[in-house]
Amino acid sequence: MRLSALLPLLLVSLAGAAPVSFDEVRPVLEGRCVECHNPAKVKGKLLMTTREEMAKGGESGASLLSPKDGEIVKRITLPKGHDDIMPPKDGPLAAAEIDLLRRWVAEGAVWTSGVVLKARDKAEETARAELTAKLATIQKLEILPPSFSLETRRDLHRVVVFATFSDATTRDVTAFAKLNVADGKIARLDGFSLAAAGDAGATELVAQIGGLTAKAPVAVKDGLKDRAVSFRLDVMPVFLRANCNSGGCHGAARGKDGFRLSLFGMDPAGDYVRLTREMVGRRINLAIPEESTVIEKAVGAVPHSGNKLYDADSAYNKAVLEWITNGAKDDPADVAKVTGIEIFPSQIVLEGPGATQQITVRAKYSDGTDRDVTELAVFTSNNDPVAAITKGGLVKSGDRGAAFMLARFNVYSITSQVIVIPQGLKYERPKAEEFNYVDKAVNERLHRLRILPSELCDDETFVRRVHIDVVGLYPKPDEIRAFVADKSPDKRAKLVDALLQRKEFTELWVMKWSELLQIRSGINQGNNAPPFYKNALLYYNWLADRIGKNVPIDKVVVELLSSSGGTVSVPSVNYYQNELDRLKLSENVAQVFMGMRLQCAQCHNHPFDRWTMDDYYGFNAFFAQIGRKTTDDPQEVVVFNSHNGESQHFLTKQNVKPKFLGAEEPDLKPGDDRRRVLAEWLASPRNPYFARNLANIVWAHFFGVGVVDPVDDVRISNPPSNPELLDELAKRLTDYNYDFRRIVRDIVLSAAYQRSSKPNETNAGDRLNFARSQVRRVRAEVLLDAISQITETPNKFQGLPLGARAVQIADGAVSNYFLTTFGRAKRESVASSEVKTDPSLSQALHLMNGDALNERIRRGKVVETLVAAGKKDPEIVDELFMRVFGRRPLPAETAAVVKSVAAEPESRLAVLEDAFWALMNSKEFYFNH
Amino acid sequence: MKLHKNCQGDHPDFLSALSRRDFLQVGVFGTIGLSLPEMLRLQALEISKVESFPALADAVIHIYLPGGIAQHESWDPKPFASPDYRGPFTPIKTSVPGEYVGEKFVNIAKIMNKLTVVRSMTHGEAAHERGTHNMFTGYRPSPAIKFPSFGSVISHEQGTRNNLPPYVVVPSQSIPEQGTGYMSSAFGPFALGSDPASKDFTVRDLLAPKEVTTSRFDRRRGMLAAVDEHFRTVEKSDAISAMDSFYQAAYGLVSSSKAREAFDLSKEPDKLRDEYGRNTAGQRLILARRLVEAGVRMVSVTYGSWDHHSNVRGGFDSNAPAFDQAFARLITDLHDRGMLKRTLVMVSSEFGRTPKINGTNGRDHWPRVFSVAMAGGGMKEGYVHGASDALGGEPDRDAVGPEDLAKTMYRCLGINAEKRIMADGGRPIDIVNGGRVMNDWLA
Repeated sequence: MRLSALLPLLLVSLAGAAPVSFDEVRPVLEGRCVECHNPAKVKGKLLMTTREEMAKGGESGASLLSPKDGEIVKRITLPKGHDDIMPPKDGPLAAAEIDLLRRWVAEGAVWTSGVVLKARDKAEETARAELTAKLATIQKLEILPPSFSLETRRDLHRVVVFATFSDATTRDVTAFAKLNVADGKIARLDGFSLAAAGDAGATELVAQIGGLTAKAPVAVKDGLKDRAVSFRLDVMPVFLRANCNSGGCHGAARGKDGFRLSLFGMDPAGDYVRLTREMVGRRINLAIPEESTVIEKAVGAVPHSGNKLYDADSAYNKAVLEWITNGAKDDPADVAKVTGIEIFPSQIVLEGPGATQQITVRAKYSDGTDRDVTELAVFTSNNDPVAAITKGGLVKSGDRGAAFMLARFNVYSITSQVIVIPQGLKYERPKAEEFNYVDKAVNERLHRLRILPSELCDDETFVRRVHIDVVGLYPKPDEIRAFVADKSPDKRAKLVDALLQRKEFTELWVMKWSELLQIRSGINQGNNAPPFYKNALLYYNWLADRIGKNVPIDKVVVELLSSSGGTVSVPSVNYYQNELDRLKLSENVAQVFMGMRLQCAQCHNHPFDRWTMDDYYGFNAFFAQIGRKTTDDPQEVVVFNSHNGESQHFLTKQNVKPKFLGAEEPDLKPGDDRRRVLAEWLASPRNPYFARNLANIVWAHFFGVGVVDPVDDVRISNPPSNPELLDELAKRLTDYNYDFRRIVRDIVLSAAYQRSSKPNETNAGDRLNFARSQVRRVRAEVLLDAISQITETPNKFQGLPLGARAVQIADGAVSNYFLTTFGRAKRESVASSEVKTDPSLSQALHLMNGDALNERIRRGKVVETLVAAGKKDPEIVDELFMRVFGRRPLPAETAAVVKSVAAEPESRLAVLEDAFWALMNSKEFYFNH
Repeated sequence: MKLHKNCQGDHPDFLSALSRRDFLQVGVFGTIGLSLPEMLRLQALEISKVESFPALADAVIHIYLPGGIAQHESWDPKPFASPDYRGPFTPIKTSVPGEYVGEKFVNIAKIMNKLTVVRSMTHGEAAHERGTHNMFTGYRPSPAIKFPSFGSVISHEQGTRNNLPPYVVVPSQSIPEQGTGYMSSAFGPFALGSDPASKDFTVRDLLAPKEVTTSRFDRRRGMLAAVDEHFRTVEKSDAISAMDSFYQAAYGLVSSSKAREAFDLSKEPDKLRDEYGRNTAGQRLILARRLVEAGVRMVSVTYGSWDHHSNVRGGFDSNAPAFDQAFARLITDLHDRGMLKRTLVMVSSEFGRTPKINGTNGRDHWPRVFSVAMAGGGMKEGYVHGASDALGGEPDRDAVGPEDLAKTMYRCLGINAEKRIMADGGRPIDIVNGGRVMNDWLA
């Protein structure tokens, strides 16, 4: 407050004897006087909100503004501690402030007419002071939205003045900016909202602060005309906003307390009928609109299970009431539809806790008009501790981090990203390694969040990490030694290139794709239909062949989805045997190949995403013409294009034409196989989700967390943590012609992947921005293969030769106790959560006491062989550490083992085997770090 | 609140008053290893705080009779119905005046005065797996969400006690509905992996291999601590500490002879084992008693095969006597040890069977009305709730649904089933959706 008061004073003293302006005294009065002398408080029967009141004076009767001996001057100049000194709290006014007021009174106390003073609250004062301090560093001043179009006199658009500073932080400066309309005859400001003042014309809205000016064009059309309240455009949005049609209330399938609305307002025509035609005269009372149940319940005039929803004099109630008063008419058939919504601002960077930013939402309609729907949208934050949002769209910052504000209106959802950085942070952008485009995107993001990346990991860590991630094998001691000893600067790239050529790389990805494509026997056990074991094996071999030959993934997907034929003769059709239910099948396709979960939209418009029931059934229609017939061989079921069958909308019972998700309706010719038409769109750059989804799946494999996470839950309300990164990865994958070996190479050779897992102060809590490597438990198959390799005991699985790796198991139904306990995917569903790496008691007991380890240590004779070869204790410890941890032991670790042997020399072999056991039970073995 | 059948999970309630709501306590998850971002996600979606109840029971033994036991031949006989409804047996009087049980429940008849029998259970699922789902979760099956079993919810809410896993299935997880649903596998059941009735019964991986003596195990443990030290100091992650906590639990189990002995049936006197019955019913139930005595919170026991579409007489002749003997002995055993008051025993099945005997002298699936029996853990003694009609085909009065049963069972343990647990996608789901706490049943 002091600062803000001083600034004008400084200007005054520079200007010399210029007369005191009202703008100069206003902060002093508002800051120190009005708090107690306003209509709500009226201390000493004195009001100070207008000049007239000040001139009138309080209980003493003396005018405050009498030029000779104004009471105000008397009282503020009393000695400190005097009973009558003003202000009584927070000490006397500063000398400069006293001088200012004295001169202002002496000069006749000028006042800008019409201004009513308002006490300044502390938060606002703090904000003002902070703003004043940063005023000089404003880089960009914007009015949001950037242009206004006002139609009818009901149209009211909220104005936000948005400043971006040189340190990339942003601030809502609406309250501090000087706002005015260039031509007051065309438009006018009502508070912070813009309304029409004339019938038509164009003008500008101008905002000024700290010497900067921003302008926004304003167009007015029919500004003096009124428009009728519409059921769909004015009343239905109230039901959504007030939660009337949510799943827990009247939107439930059975309604609530005898009244049903369509969920989230997806069926306005049905809602109109239920409101006006059921219980005629009760819900809508045309004779006495105020006594309509729909009014009385909502404003709390009668008991309501959902309690009072809004005030009787709120805009919500007025809209509904006006619609009823006008006869509760249905809309004409050509009523405008919402075509999209926009959110302002879309990127916010707040500094410190408690900072606020108003968000506005604007809807566009099919008739070319737009409306400010901030008061009708539903706002939610995905991360309240970082940034919370009020019903009215006011964002308030909390802890450091990133959050997304979701606004929902009609069937549309949209997000605005909020980043919160600590206040007054000492930060300088680090010179972080930038090996390729991945690092460019990651580092930029870290910079915006003021997070410092960890350093690069050492060679021993890298060689182990990259082996486990790229080929699913733990590196052998020789491989580690050779790599560490290699002095060439590009040795990491050479290693990665070599690993990418190994067959184990392919096998690992065949396994991952097998999970996505659910290669498993017995899914249809109950129907006694394929896939049987033989089918699963053929299906797996088909996939392994394609991936082994490095056939681009788009080609594989097109072949898979458009395949017709027998489950034995054309193995890829087994995909269509995994799920016989057509609705679930189309949901699975969307989830696996686009990362989207459409399930919600089967019965209602998706509440947190853009998908409507029309989208759902339009997508489903591509799978409406799958025919199946059995043959003499129960293992051979023929899947074919039956050329008939349609997708029926759950609500309208109408057939829905095939329509690509989020894109156009294809032009289908008679005889076209709809699945092929879909596949050719799905696995192409025309479908923006395909490459993004693949890139994200690959990314998640190497980082343990997707850019969108979980990878199969892409939705507007679950946005990517780094959109630029995901865009770039998707673009590259498309440019590489879907050769994902190349995208793997880019990812693995980025600095982001090579970072150490060691946290620093700024990135300890980070998981989603890739500032450091995450420790990840190794997945079940790789872990079992590692145990087999390290203990030199071959595995045996059904259908595979002795010594095969668990990664190579074709059928998801084939498992063993170890794999099941450690969370191998059963492939019973397409969910990415099928692969589990959660710990459990059974896992701990199994490694501790079970045959997975104890028996293998004995059988493999690793320690026995080393002892027999005459190796000394430290050499044996060295070898075991290299095998299990991929590093040399620390002196203390060697000493601990050697000491144990020395304590019981007679059982040397047992002690060394126990050391082996201990290493393999250690978390350093379980985790990739 | 009833939700759409395909959509039983509750969506976040956007506009509810904030003041009523509160963040979850981090401490609840501390030992389970939710990662920080997950915690934040949980916090991000505020979950309403619910009233807490004092616990009436410390543990539950849930005895499940798979297949759907016929109510007429067991808990709800119709002695005065015509033979084609009454069935092949003659109902017998019990220690509660005026109440009958099936002919094969000779021993149960004597302890009827310690039981609460609900004769008006009803739901709408006539398929085994769907009915089973109802009776293990309190929810109707949903294609959208997998619900956790009672035991997993109890693990999630109450955690371990005395180094023992909170949720044990006896003999093994034979029913998918005993699983964790949308929860992490960390809350899954600990399965014995072998039948207590078998001669060489031991629990998988519970004991160190023979050659690993106690002193050698200690040496291993010491060395594990030594080689774990470096990684522990360098790496900090919730996944690592979660695994650590399970190793600690495993150590507790392996090295606490008391905890391990809970699984050791040979510690029971031969005479008592005989009295329970040297068969799968008797030995599973005596083990269940040992487990809750030692500190396990939920033991889920399955016994027999009760899907008697044909020859219900033969089915009961072979299944019922062992159950009758074991269950009655369990109740008296718990009573004699002073444990009955704090141990809830619940006997249920996926549904009942058709009131009329069919053409193959059996009964078919019938979820319209069936019975559940309970004892101890806060339940009344010698109480019968509700009734089926004269033929045993419909609830006659005081019908009870699976959600009521579930909610009451949780209430006995001191768990308020109105609490919500966060599922994937930030979706808070009530422990039980709707339902009532049946205060009438409580002593």
